[in-house]
Amino acid sequence: MPSERLLPRLFLILLVAVLALAGWQWRHGAPLSANLMELVPGSTPNALEQQAEQRMQEPLNREMLVLVGHADRQQALAMAQQLGERWQASGLFEKVQWNLQADLPALREQLLRGRLSMLSAKDREQLIEQPDAFIQQRVQALFDPFTGFSLVPSQDDWLGLTGRIQNSQPQHGSVQLDIGSGALIADADGKSWVLLRARTTGNAFDMQLPLQVADLLQTSRAQAGEQGAQLLAASGLLYAANGQRQATREITWVGGGATIGILLLLLLAFRRWRVLLAFVPVLVGMLFGAVACVALFGHMHVMTLVLGSSLIGVAVDYPLHYLSKSWSLQPWRSWPALRLTLPGLSLSLATSCIGYLALAWTPFPALTQIAVFSAAGLVGAYLCAVCLLPALLKGVELRPAHWPLRIADSLWQMRTALIKHVPSSVLLVWVLLFCAGGLWQLNSKNDIRQWIGAPPQLLQEAQAVARITGFQPTSQFFLVRADNQQQLLERQAALGKRLDQLVNMDKLQGYLALNQLVSLAEEQQQLRDALNNLAQHWQPLLDLGVPASALQAEVAQLQALPITDIDAALQGPLAEPWRTLWLGPVDGGVAAMVSLQGLNNPALLRVQALDLPGVQLVDRLGDLNRVFADTQISAAELKLMSCVLIVLLLIAPFGFGGALRIVALPLLAALCSLASLGWLGQPLTLFSLFGLLLVTAISVDYAILMREQIGGPAVSLLGTLLAALTTWLSFGLLAVSSTPAVSNFGLSVSLGLAFSFMLAPWAGQQKHTL
Amino acid sequence: MLTPVGAGLPAKILRALLSVRQPALSLTSFAGKPAPTGFLLILLLCIPNLANAFDLQQLSDQLAKPSVIHGNFTQEKHLRALPQPLVSKGTFVLAKDHGLLWLLNTPLQQDYRINAQGIARRDANGWQPLPNKSAGAEQNRLFLAVLQGDSSGLQRDFELQLQGQAQQWKLTLIPRSLLLKQVFTRIDIDGGELVHTIELLETQGDSTVLRMQDSTASQPLSEAEQHDFAQ
Repeated sequence: MPSERLLPRLFLILLVAVLALAGWQWRHGAPLSANLMELVPGSTPNALEQQAEQRMQEPLNREMLVLVGHADRQQALAMAQQLGERWQASGLFEKVQWNLQADLPALREQLLRGRLSMLSAKDREQLIEQPDAFIQQRVQALFDPFTGFSLVPSQDDWLGLTGRIQNSQPQHGSVQLDIGSGALIADADGKSWVLLRARTTGNAFDMQLPLQVADLLQTSRAQAGEQGAQLLAASGLLYAANGQRQATREITWVGGGATIGILLLLLLAFRRWRVLLAFVPVLVGMLFGAVACVALFGHMHVMTLVLGSSLIGVAVDYPLHYLSKSWSLQPWRSWPALRLTLPGLSLSLATSCIGYLALAWTPFPALTQIAVFSAAGLVGAYLCAVCLLPALLKGVELRPAHWPLRIADSLWQMRTALIKHVPSSVLLVWVLLFCAGGLWQLNSKNDIRQWIGAPPQLLQEAQAVARITGFQPTSQFFLVRADNQQQLLERQAALGKRLDQLVNMDKLQGYLALNQLVSLAEEQQQLRDALNNLAQHWQPLLDLGVPASALQAEVAQLQALPITDIDAALQGPLAEPWRTLWLGPVDGGVAAMVSLQGLNNPALLRVQALDLPGVQLVDRLGDLNRVFADTQISAAELKLMSCVLIVLLLIAPFGFGGALRIVALPLLAALCSLASLGWLGQPLTLFSLFGLLLVTAISVDYAILMREQIGGPAVSLLGTLLAALTTWLSFGLLAVSSTPAVSNFGLSVSLGLAFSFMLAPWAGQQKHTL
Repeated sequence: MLTPVGAGLPAKILRALLSVRQPALSLTSFAGKPAPTGFLLILLLCIPNLANAFDLQQLSDQLAKPSVIHGNFTQEKHLRALPQPLVSKGTFVLAKDHGLLWLLNTPLQQDYRINAQGIARRDANGWQPLPNKSAGAEQNRLFLAVLQGDSSGLQRDFELQLQGQAQQWKLTLIPRSLLLKQVFTRIDIDGGELVHTIELLETQGDSTVLRMQDSTASQPLSEAEQHDFAQ
């Protein structure tokens, strides 16, 4: 036949073209991405929110916080210095800081400039309402050896405003300054911990950097250990490094395990070396998948690769379809066997693609990528299996081993015997009872944390760092919008009042808002006005010998200070913690964030923003978890829709009743899997649902195989068994993944496959026209 | 699998951890540490333990002998802009095993105490610990180290120079670290059998002189003083 010569050539041309495209795509190195934020749903429709989010995230992905601990403070300091120098020399970091290079002149300048605008509300009120007490306290402070000395010399600030500003700065955490070395030190667990901060040159989503940083940390940890010191580190980079290592490990395990298992199965069953060529469609499928993914998304995520590696098991089903005909079709010839199975193969491709593409409509970019990768991969594998493989296998005479057929045969007989004693309808009741019991116990659980396969050690270490430094972070923050700066500060102050209550009730450790740094223009004006009357109260200062002219000059100088706005207030070293909070002019107004520390009860936060115009809580975690829950429902709908599509597709070859039956079996299998999750005490997650969505599509294939019964029931059952085994080899291995989401996915697919195989014989029998 | 950095619990922890970007803030807490005078008082306590060189060891032994010292003090704060210094007077009690009582009498009355627990100020309700701001705790640590005979802290932060003889000596402390250098130029301590004057020169040009007069090592702690230390 001419097609037998033409098809392989056409396919080879296509393959060369795709290979060329792949080569072009990889011209700048692997177009791989490791940014996990790309994979979670973009639930933030608002550009400003996104900007705020990024601003809060940025340090996470670039900075590393390290505590160098030693029982002896000097040793700890020496270690930190050593470490800092070594890290700085490593070239991985833009900046490694273990001691403060204090810029005192800049601090002094900022304090003097901010004497009116930075004064705390309490001090401002005292100056305005109780000027006598204010002056009295100043006199005391001048004599007091312990009240704290000011960075600004007395003659530049007779009223002592800068000292008050210094003392009212929010104090966070339990980190202390070691005045000798300038290092920041915390004491805990009988050790002194020196804080070291390193800022990397790139971010956590570079492919190389996180691994290099993690390696450097590990080496340093070992070196510190030799000297009796302990290192604790926390950084998004470490999670990224861990994630990348894990991904590589799992690709090796899942991909390698599935490959070896499938090749062994092929060899054992067909006893011909050339049958290993059946793996060619798998490789072609992977190539097509990767090329399609990069073409559509610009790059491919490593997670797509992990989940995509399970495609091996599905792609190998196409060659298996006609290879397994060798049990009934003797002598077996590749092209005739293909022609015999081509309709089934095509249907199988269509149903699987429908199943995979249904995943693409979920709001998870990760699943969209996987869907595209898999669908394109399946098309590639199908084309290869149909066009090229028969040519490669031409002239091969398959004499498959008999034992698989014997197994299938005895399985089939067992089933027949079972049905003889217990009719199918009774079995169905039992199955439904099993389902009902399992579903009763099924719990649903959805949390973004399922994406995290972080080892407990990383978590514990981050928690230890949080405990020792006293910094207790929250991912939630408030976004405050207003027409102008004045309104913004007012709105922040209104929010601040509510947050202060939470702080007083110990529900919140603290917060950072711009209104702590700079007071309202009108408040600055009130201070100016109050200064006019201060001369009536400053006699005690004059008694000390402070010249009246000096005081008058100072008041004149204070009154000449311009009204400070947010931009001006953010100049200078003291403003550093606040700088990231200011988003500046946006959409005809202004916006800023309020960050939070040490939150006990997230539910309390949502209430704080109520009735406050322009104030919004940004809780990405909470939002994501809600998206998860919502998606669960839409996933169920997608599943039903994909079933309807498959039924429509199958009406032509099998008729309405047959199509319905073929689709009902995978659905029943899915139900049984759900029930099994319940019986096993495993939670139903979004990912197990996605797994079932997929398994419905794949296992429609088994029902079709059984219904067609080419070569008899036992041969068909054997074909189904082989297909299920190969698929399970790849998906089942996902269950060992240490990422809860992936392992959930693997578990539910495994269960689904097992039930699909068991139920497939009930697909009925099709009268063949062939 | 990859971890969504920035989401989840670890991210929560990380976020706040990384907001430790507050060198400036920490500096203010440094600035909020007890005044130079307070620093001086602690140095006073440190001297008996400055043992390193032969002379320092001698001085150390000499000053370590008395277990209780009573005396009067005059504190002069010389501010560049004031024609005359701010002068305050009072009495002090330095007890080797307890700490220091610093009782200011004129021009205002205020009592302070430094001991292992930190610095306290007396008000109508008794001793009130001063907020243990970071550098306060640091000072506390230094103080404790000294009480325990560990002079490494002081030697690390200052370069020590001793001149003169046992009956008339002068000890000069020069800060080593960049941070301290921006605050103090030098600290001079003069004495004989006991410490006579401490002079602290600030980088900004102000200085403080502490004169300890009529110091005597012959009187034990009174009951009231014991009570003050005990609380």
